[in-house]
This record gives sequence, C-alpha cells and structure tokens, in this order.
Amino acid sequence: MNHREMAVVAGNAVAGETLREENGIVMEASPYGIDKKKLGMWVFIVADACTFGAFLFAYGYMRIGTPVWGTPFGLSSIINGVVMTAVLLASSLTMLAAVRASQADKKDSAMKWLGVTMLLGAVFAGLHLREWFKLIGEGWRLFYNPTGGAAQFGATFFSVTGLHLSHVVTGVIALAFVARGYNQGRYDQSHVETAGLYWHFVDLVWMFVFPLMYLMNAH
Amino acid sequence: MSSNRDLTMSSYVGIGIGLMAIVGVEVILTYLHLPARSLLFSLLCLASLEGFVAIMYLMHVKYERPILFWTIFPATLFVLVFLCYLFPDAYRMFNMRLLK
Repeated sequence: MNHREMAVVAGNAVAGETLREENGIVMEASPYGIDKKKLGMWVFIVADACTFGAFLFAYGYMRIGTPVWGTPFGLSSIINGVVMTAVLLASSLTMLAAVRASQADKKDSAMKWLGVTMLLGAVFAGLHLREWFKLIGEGWRLFYNPTGGAAQFGATFFSVTGLHLSHVVTGVIALAFVARGYNQGRYDQSHVETAGLYWHFVDLVWMFVFPLMYLMNAH
Repeated sequence: MSSNRDLTMSSYVGIGIGLMAIVGVEVILTYLHLPARSLLFSLLCLASLEGFVAIMYLMHVKYERPILFWTIFPATLFVLVFLCYLFPDAYRMFNMRLLK
C-alpha cells in the first residue's frame, strides 16, 4: 500500500468518508455525498427551474394584465392533457426501474426500461404535437387570437409548452446516448441515475405546466 | 449509496397512482367552475404537493444527505417566490386601461 492509499484508508477509518481518491489524486470527499455528475445535474435543474419559473410568471403577469383572455381548451383537450400526464408519470416510473436495474448490474433489464422510457417520452411528444396542431387548425398562432381577444394566450401557451416539449425531446435524445454508452460499457449506473434525475425534473415541471396552462384555460 | 434505503418498486407505483389521483382532483376542481382566484390557489397548492412528492421520492432527495436539500431548495424557492414582485405591475396595467 502506498502513501496515497494509506491516506485514503486512514481518512475513511478515522473520519468517515472524508477523503477519496480520484484519478490518482487524494481529495476531500463531497459534503453532499453524491457523485459529481449528479451534483452538476442538480445545479442545472436549479437553473432550469428558475427559467421555467420566469416563463410561468410572465404568463401570470400577462394574464392578470389582459382583460379578455382566451380559454380554448374543451373537455377533449383536457382529457388529452390527463393522458399526457399519465404517460409522463409512467415514464418516470420506468426510468426508476431502469436506474434500479443498472444499480443491480442487470444490464438487459436496464436497457429494456430505458427503451420503454424513451418510447413513452416519444408518445408524450406526439400527444403534445397533436394538441398544438389542433390549436393551430383552430387559428391560434403565437401572436394571433382567432376569437378576437388578446393575442397573449398563444404567445404564452406555445412558449411555455414549447420549452417543455424541447426538454422532453432533448431528454429522449440524451437517454438514447446514455443507453448506447451504457450498453457498450462506456457509461456506468451513475450516468443512468443522472439522466434519470433530469427525466424526473421534466415530469416535475409538467405538474405545474398542466394545471396552469391547460386547466386554467379550460372552458 | 442512497439506493440502499430506497423504496420498493411497488411503493413507487403507489406514489405514481397517488400523483395521478391528485391530477384527477385538479380536473374535478376545474369543472366545478370556481372563481379564478380560488381555482388558481387550489391548483397551485395541489401542484406544489405533487412537486414536493416528486422531489422527495422520485428524485430521491429524501434519501440524500439533508445538506443537499438545504443548499438547493431554500435558495430556489426564494428566487421563484421573489418573482411575484412583478404582479402588482400587472394589476397597474389592467387598471390603467381606458376600457375594462
């Protein structure tokens, strides 16, 4: 055992997980006790939460300041939104199954659940686009209200849901890259877990987007 | 690892069903035709409850060290809540209109 290894062992024995070795360098362990990839993802999630928060507050600002607000969603759109929510929530559960399988070194099972998660993400995006095309077919545009009221509904709805949709599509692509790397042995379970954290965040954001953008605009 | 103290998969399915039940309550509240303020308050409370459950269980914060929670969430919540300082200006815009 060299000096470095002895330092790590001694540090761990005396003061818990105070020291760790990474790339041949003895370092103080993270006070958060999590992988650096995961901590980086948390920092990204905080920044992204503030971005979504700003979009939703801009929507609230415009809605309060606008006397005639469009409420285009009928029951069929709300049912579509509920199905989208169920699909995204189910994808969170399949992502959890993928993370657990990767932690148990069950590569085949992890790959299967990652595939199901990507499929559910694609289904969510398809349902989302169907709702968009329905609204566009009714005449709603980014800066146009076909009912003659304020045009801000289209601007806020397409912006907020478009930002969320871009996160879902990016998530599906990211999961595909992680799944490929994990299957080839380039990535380990920590990569799957970090990608899972992002995917749950996308689900979390939808829990606010659906009631605020769909239910508050139902007629 | 945090996963050593993790829930079983059936518990997670139960959490997922619970979250969908909250969504069902949100839809029912929408069709009760409550005043906009009451509906908004109710939906935000329910969405926050869903978000809290998702963060604690799906995102595993409950099983991480408390320092992660206390580092990230108070600051993020402060920023998000502080954005509300814009709303009085929205009411000003509304009340400045000649035609309401």
